[in-house]
Amino acid sequence: MDAAYNLARWLTRNDQDARDVVQEAALRAYRFLDGLRGEAKPWFLTLVRNSCMTWLKANRPSELIGMDSDAAELQRIEHETPETLAIDALDRRLLNEALAALPAGFREALILREMEDFAYKDIARITGVPIGTVMSRLARGRRLLAASLQAISRASSPKVRE
Amino acid sequence: MTREEADREISAAIREHADYHRAPGSLASEIRAALPLESEAPQRPRWHFWLVQGAAMAGVALVTWAATMGYLRPGDDERRAGEILASHVGATLGKRLYEVASSDQHTVKPWLSSRLAYSPPVADLSAQGFELLGARIDHIDGRQVAVLAYKRHQHVIDAYVWPSRDRAAELELKRDGFNLARFASGGMEFWLVSDLNRNELGDFTRLLAHSNATP
Repeated sequence: MDAAYNLARWLTRNDQDARDVVQEAALRAYRFLDGLRGEAKPWFLTLVRNSCMTWLKANRPSELIGMDSDAAELQRIEHETPETLAIDALDRRLLNEALAALPAGFREALILREMEDFAYKDIARITGVPIGTVMSRLARGRRLLAASLQAISRASSPKVRE
Repeated sequence: MTREEADREISAAIREHADYHRAPGSLASEIRAALPLESEAPQRPRWHFWLVQGAAMAGVALVTWAATMGYLRPGDDERRAGEILASHVGATLGKRLYEVASSDQHTVKPWLSSRLAYSPPVADLSAQGFELLGARIDHIDGRQVAVLAYKRHQHVIDAYVWPSRDRAAELELKRDGFNLARFASGGMEFWLVSDLNRNELGDFTRLLAHSNATP
């Protein structure tokens, strides 16, 4: 239940919509129990995830565009030498904001992997993409997140002194 | 710092520092309230408990529930129940409950007979508190069937009637807050659907079956 709400909360970015989405998924789970194959938790999260995507399509269509289109930006990030992240100096709020700003495809992969500890194959099943895509989304998601955190910390430190 | 170290660091940052949103306590009860099948069937296991117990319990409880509720798997009955429910809800929402409005069985029956290949029984049960509102024709399972609309207090009951050679077994279902009942009588198959409570719908079922068996 927590896993379902957490995923929905991160994808819809607000409490009421996350509740609605989880509730809808629970109703669907009840109706389509026949579709239950294998473990219940990934199965239920698949429903939650699909409800989220339907919700995003209806309410935040812009978030679903360009999920894999900023290839040039990714190329650049991947070739940059990573800087050491001053995670301790970063406050929680900035990390949360940066994570929330990631494109939905990267966000959901990271939430499922880092917060729920799902195996790649389960994430692949929940998000409906091949395992290879899951792995590349995780890698790119981490790098995008690191890059945006660096950008935030670079941008925010001079401001403090203003 | 290598790529791998940076990846590990960012993954640790998410694990340790990003918000994990626990489900609010009220969510489980909201969901329980929204789920159609509820505690009015005490002989069934309290399957919905898994929602409260959290994700860890979900697997076990779901499987138990799946096994006990196995008879509800989509089959012909299930599909037909879905069609009938959709038709009923559509009619209620669209306010097109009947095409002929009459509480007189001698008006309703000829109206139906002239439009269908069969003549459905039309019972007057107003004395028992079920007022006949009228009738319409709907499409169920690819054919035209008679639908009689009755009213009990503020609840509308739709009775779907068509001839059937097989004597369909009695069946009671609850879907999305609606009660459905099926029975066969006098060569006809009846499906009742209403938001009326199960007991009163059961009374109505017996009255209809009785009036049809003894014309």
